[in-house]
Amino acid sequence: MPNVNTRVFFSKTDRAKYISHLDLYRVFQRAIIKSKLPVWYTEGFNPHLYIQFMLPLSLGQEGLREAADFRLTEEISPDEVTERLNAALPLDLRIIETAVPVMKNTDIVEAEYEIEAELSREKFVEFVQSEKILVEKRTKKGVSEIDLKPNIKKLEIGDKITIRLPAGNEFNLNPALLFEAYEKFSGEKIPRLKITRTRIFAGNGEDFR
Amino acid sequence: MYRNDEMMKKLDEFLLDVQKPSRYIGGESGSVFKDKEDVDVRFAFCFPDTYEIGMSHLGMKILYGLKNRVPNYWCERVFMPLPDMEQKMRERNIPLYALESLDPIKDFDFIGFTIQYELCYTTILEMLDLAGVPVLASERTALTPIIMGGGPCVCNAEPLCDFFDLFAIGEGEEMNLELMRLMEECKKNGSTKAEFLEKAAQIEGIYVPSMYDVSYNEDGTVQKITAKAPAPEQVKKRVIKDFDSVYSPENFVVPFTDIVHNRAVVEVLRGCIRGCRFCQAGFIYRPFREKKTNTVLEQTKTLCENTGYDEVSLSSLSTSDFSDIEGLLETLTAYTSKNRINLSLPSLRVDRFSEKIFEEISAVRKSGLTFAPEAGTQRLRDVINKNIKESDVLSSAKIAFEGGYTSIKLYFMLGLPTETDDDIRGIYALAKAVIDEFYQNPNRKKGKSPSVSISLSTFIPKPFTPFEFEPQASEAEIKRKQKLITEVCIDKKINISWSKYDVSLLEAVLARGDRRVGKAIYLAWKKGCVLDGWDEYFDFDKWKQAFAECGLSMEFYANRQRSYEETAPWSHINMLVSREFFVEENKRAHAGVTTPNCREKCSNCGVIGNIGGECCKNLR
Repeated sequence: MPNVNTRVFFSKTDRAKYISHLDLYRVFQRAIIKSKLPVWYTEGFNPHLYIQFMLPLSLGQEGLREAADFRLTEEISPDEVTERLNAALPLDLRIIETAVPVMKNTDIVEAEYEIEAELSREKFVEFVQSEKILVEKRTKKGVSEIDLKPNIKKLEIGDKITIRLPAGNEFNLNPALLFEAYEKFSGEKIPRLKITRTRIFAGNGEDFR
Repeated sequence: MYRNDEMMKKLDEFLLDVQKPSRYIGGESGSVFKDKEDVDVRFAFCFPDTYEIGMSHLGMKILYGLKNRVPNYWCERVFMPLPDMEQKMRERNIPLYALESLDPIKDFDFIGFTIQYELCYTTILEMLDLAGVPVLASERTALTPIIMGGGPCVCNAEPLCDFFDLFAIGEGEEMNLELMRLMEECKKNGSTKAEFLEKAAQIEGIYVPSMYDVSYNEDGTVQKITAKAPAPEQVKKRVIKDFDSVYSPENFVVPFTDIVHNRAVVEVLRGCIRGCRFCQAGFIYRPFREKKTNTVLEQTKTLCENTGYDEVSLSSLSTSDFSDIEGLLETLTAYTSKNRINLSLPSLRVDRFSEKIFEEISAVRKSGLTFAPEAGTQRLRDVINKNIKESDVLSSAKIAFEGGYTSIKLYFMLGLPTETDDDIRGIYALAKAVIDEFYQNPNRKKGKSPSVSISLSTFIPKPFTPFEFEPQASEAEIKRKQKLITEVCIDKKINISWSKYDVSLLEAVLARGDRRVGKAIYLAWKKGCVLDGWDEYFDFDKWKQAFAECGLSMEFYANRQRSYEETAPWSHINMLVSREFFVEENKRAHAGVTTPNCREKCSNCGVIGNIGGECCKNLR
């Protein structure tokens, strides 16, 4: 039986941004069953459908080009996979492209986000010019203090804010941290914050493929 | 496709601050979206409990699919938000909205509640209030929204009459569409609410409470219920005659999060042949009708394929009473096992629990097994007409133990009519006999010991049962019986648990209440009662205060022996089973005489006369 590694790039927007990472597995699993795509199940006592998500997205954030892997047990054209999955997924999860994986998830190093925030622009510019931007990063091991400043790879402040931050399994920074720090700095409460992950990058500055 | 963007924006501002936000936003696969311009009648289908509970309910899925099949009707889902969400909505003046369009439900044509248990009554009021709709029907004068109720509790809807415009009695598949058609017409003609209700009252099964007057005797019992023309004297329950071809949903809305029963559900039969005298469902869903094996198979396939569920459950009051149960299981497991789908079978009776059925269910998963003997002695089981014998329980236990199970749960009721202390001791004796059965198995696994859980609930007399005349046992009596069983039960392999008396008392009051109880419900809600079915929110003191303040006694409704001659608050509702039959059955209960099930012999319950001789024609 052939075992075809398959990578889908999908958007997770609008209502779907409230699907937790844990639930996302279930949603994809059901969509794959519905699509009747021949997929590979893990072997062993309790076989389950194999799906791997490349980079978890925080609850409430949107993603325009997220990635997930599974394996097909037959050769099926990428367009057909896209079409059949889109027919089965909820409206706000859309497959954009299906492809053969080129890179490994460990190749991911950065991600770019687009942010809509209701805040005082001048104050924000002043804030990002601070020498240090200290934030509390919560991990499984506990809370650690990190300086965001040297980790900001790109920052554009226009109508929207564009920021590029380290991403990946080794070291990942959530852009929400920047705005938490800003709220502390300014004493403002940001009433509306929309964070969208627009791109995921591999080490050499290439888009993750 | 329409969506209220303004509402989405407002929700985006705070949804991340509430627990499990995905249950408040809709958009799940299987949910139905339409263009608002194409829609003439909008229906907000409300389940007065949380998303997790409501989304597990089959009736909602049936009516949701059925109404949305009509291109110009749009049915959407609404649930009760938990306190964290509700508080945020109230702070921001966000009215209760429907999960598909996100539009406020106060702008809909119908707000319909499915009323599955009495303890959701205050939640209904809370949902109306959160929606910005006056909770009292008398304060709503416009044609829309019409507030309607359906489900088992509306067989005695009297305590809810102050709040509802109409009730749908019986099976809703046809009635709901007829009401929506009537609304479509009335909107076009610019009819008033009164005109709409007058026409609705003439649809079979529709009960418009404002068209009935109730008078009371000096002792507080109902004297007379008078219908105002053109409403019928008796509202007759609606029944689907051709059950095999009744609409069955081809798809479910599949939640993002996990819910109570997250699986495909296929209905195999309606009604029950048994006639257990305490069981309301056993009478109000008569006559017994079943689908063909092949229909069930086809519906299972369609549903599993469309939803992507990997578990399917069969729904009925008693699945093992399906005439072709073994054929059905064989057919279904052939499909499910090939497609990695689990088949689960709730509601099996111990006297039909064969090795064959056991093999089919245990091929899937070994969960705990629950049997419901309901009473501890044969004498009392005869009184309640639970026609199973101790040997049935023991032989089922034997099959289960041989199949590798070690723990069994047994359900009993306390406070049944004619119950004596010997019956209570009998509960322990039966549990002990089940334990002994384990040790009689020569092939039992060494080093394993069995366990039996006894689960005790308090008997609640319900309308439209032979026990509707009976008093509920007092708190002192129930407490004494609970104490007695813990004293006689000395076996460490048996553990005992029971439900709270207060909750059962309230349920008994609401189940057999009259229109005056509505005031107490209103006051209890005003005092903050909501989600009474949840232990953490149930506040019995407030309920007691509410009843005291409107001068009503809970004991009058729950603990009083009612005579056969008394006019029941629900006597203008015809559930097809006759009052005479219930009286006769009550007498037989007190004489300890059982009544055969419908398959063995027709007991003339009244259904045949009411539906024109079609009842149970396939039973014999």
